[in-house]
Amino acid sequence: MEAIANPRRRKILKLVWTAERSAGEIAAASDVTWPAVSQNLRVLRASGLLSERRDGTHRYYRVERRALGPLESILRQMWAADLGRLKQLAEDEAKGRRSRR
Amino acid sequence: MIEDLSSVIEVTQRIEAPPEIVFSYLTDSARFTQWMGIGAALDARPGGRYRIDVDGEHIASGEYREIDPPHRLVMSWGWEGHPTVPPGSTTVEITLTSEEGATLLRLRHLGLPSEAERQQHTGGWGVYTGRLRNLPSLA
Repeated sequence: MEAIANPRRRKILKLVWTAERSAGEIAAASDVTWPAVSQNLRVLRASGLLSERRDGTHRYYRVERRALGPLESILRQMWAADLGRLKQLAEDEAKGRRSRR
Repeated sequence: MIEDLSSVIEVTQRIEAPPEIVFSYLTDSARFTQWMGIGAALDARPGGRYRIDVDGEHIASGEYREIDPPHRLVMSWGWEGHPTVPPGSTTVEITLTSEEGATLLRLRHLGLPSEAERQQHTGGWGVYTGRLRNLPSLA
């Protein structure tokens, strides 16, 4: 997913993983300008990974764990994707051997 | 043997290649990284250890428990620093069955922690597993 392919967005997710953080705290921990941080927060919210709470003029963010899914389905997809690559490699090699005969 | 089937993952794959070729991708470090991770050091013999750099940040490691080329491989599986699936905590069992020149690969991942155990833990791991979940599936 695009939302977590970006290292700065992953850093934001790690920051809000254990506790809710204010926009100011997230900006202070980032090495980019506020507009860039704000853009990353928007992408994460749009992907459903981050939820926002407003309190007066302050904004607070936390991770939306349910969007990350249960371990079993994640692992099943990891193995299926990896074994799909293994299948491709082994089949290409077998084909190469057959055509050399 | 009594198993808690709720904590078992099973993935099968039919591969149009003989088991000898498929098995080499499971045990040879250079071949292994072509389908999983970005680096791997595998000492594929009973009692030997392996370490896989999955994405430059997370390390999977464990020990080979059974190796029967080219039919069967059993290894312990876990991620270094993971709160509920540390190295040694789960088992991955791969069997290859020859089928008219092709191979039926069956992978079982056993001993995964229950949902209740997992909910007691937090960490940056959701980011990693969330990313895994969104890998393009080539299967």
